[in-house]
Amino acid sequence: MNSDEAIAVEHLSKEFRIPHDRKVTMYEHIVGILKGGKYSYELFQALDDVSFTVRRGETFGVIGPNGSGKSTLLKILAGVLYPDSGRVQVNGKIAPFLELGVGFQPDLTAKENIFLYGSIMGLTRKEIGKRYDEILDFAELRRFENMKLKNFSSGMAVRLAFATAIQTDPDILLVDEVLAVGDEAFQRKCSEKIEEIRRQGKTIIIVSHALGTVQELCERCMLLKNGRVLSSGETGKVVEEYLRISAAGS
Amino acid sequence: MWLVDYRDLIWNLTISDLKVKYQSSVLGFAWSLLNPLLMMLVLYFVFSNIFRFELENFALYLLIGIIAWRFLANGTMTAMGSIVGRPGLVTKLYIPRQILVMSSVLSSFISSILEFAVLIPLLFILGAKVTPNILFFPVVHGIYFLIVYGISLVLASLFVYFRDLNQVWDVVMQAGFFLSPIVYPITTIPAAFLEYYMLNPMTVLIETYREFLLYGLTPSLASLLALLAVGAVMVAAGTLVFQRLERRFAEEI
Repeated sequence: MNSDEAIAVEHLSKEFRIPHDRKVTMYEHIVGILKGGKYSYELFQALDDVSFTVRRGETFGVIGPNGSGKSTLLKILAGVLYPDSGRVQVNGKIAPFLELGVGFQPDLTAKENIFLYGSIMGLTRKEIGKRYDEILDFAELRRFENMKLKNFSSGMAVRLAFATAIQTDPDILLVDEVLAVGDEAFQRKCSEKIEEIRRQGKTIIIVSHALGTVQELCERCMLLKNGRVLSSGETGKVVEEYLRISAAGS
Repeated sequence: MWLVDYRDLIWNLTISDLKVKYQSSVLGFAWSLLNPLLMMLVLYFVFSNIFRFELENFALYLLIGIIAWRFLANGTMTAMGSIVGRPGLVTKLYIPRQILVMSSVLSSFISSILEFAVLIPLLFILGAKVTPNILFFPVVHGIYFLIVYGISLVLASLFVYFRDLNQVWDVVMQAGFFLSPIVYPITTIPAAFLEYYMLNPMTVLIETYREFLLYGLTPSLASLLALLAVGAVMVAAGTLVFQRLERRFAEEI
């Protein structure tokens, strides 16, 4: 792997087994065996021989229709799913923004949740303590510091989550359509923050349906369909290709 | 090593777990301490009046057995759901998943220590023979933690695939409660079975607690080493099973 590469993926494949009759209890397994039923399942090829590299400091987009394997790819990069074959090499600290506010406890206060969520996102207690004020100010929730999270509106909760998560100072940011956070003013603040991170030379991978966002942010792009890479390269061309196949498909 | 790298996360998860647990009921913390005491009163009434066990300090004998047992029963039962109960932490980002089991067992561990802490004044009031041997508590409780953590690793990972495991485990725990010397003196076991009876690590463990808490004795080195060996084997086996099953957690939850 070259040192100027942030992520290198080689021949990545992932298959899901979708059982015809999903058994989730011992009882169902025993009944199944007694009835002489077979464990039959469909195979679903979510990713098929996917290879690509993302350079350091690049903003890279992944686009494609529903079910094309975008989210599976992101989850493998995040380390949540294991690939069946192929190699993923990651150079640096990854922060997955697949969902904001993972692990929030509604029964705890905003303050307690900042410490909890911050440590889930990989910060030490000391680091969170140091950035605590900044987080509250960015989220504009100083007044609600000691309020329980269950009394927050969903917009407030997601602001708190974004403000905390953004403090993790990652080398590589994985983003899955989470840029639409809060009201318009806060969204602008988020975009500015993302832009700032980009300027700092961090690597960002964005999975999105919003072609506008991708065109605006990404230098390079990859188009997935049915788990295969249809094209990759300069964003304009790839988006064009995507529009062409979706027009042909419908 | 994940244990060191993620110590802040483990601690934060444990603390927030405890906070939520003790906030959620009105009596909160007090209730969790009242529970073993009330259970002791019921069992004391039943077993000293109906079965007529003649045992010195039977109330404390019962209470030590119950509190010791509760760590296993509550600890494994809660930890079993620790993976399934936090789907976001499994499917949306990566943290070593044994952290979820570890922090769940840790919070039960702390609850258990608090229960033992309440026991100590009762030891004096009800006339136990309190000696410096009581200081063996951290050693024995630490070994007990390993045993519970090892079992919990197996249960939590299997529970992802078999969602009725809690029903089965509930029955196992009920059986274990009566197969261990909690509510009856060990002398009621017929001599012919005693050899097999002592193979239950919980028997050795509970008897060890009573030795240094109730009778003021030094626990035997042989029992301590045997328990430590059980703990080490449990953690090793649990880790092995957990790592095998962990790979598809995110697909199954």
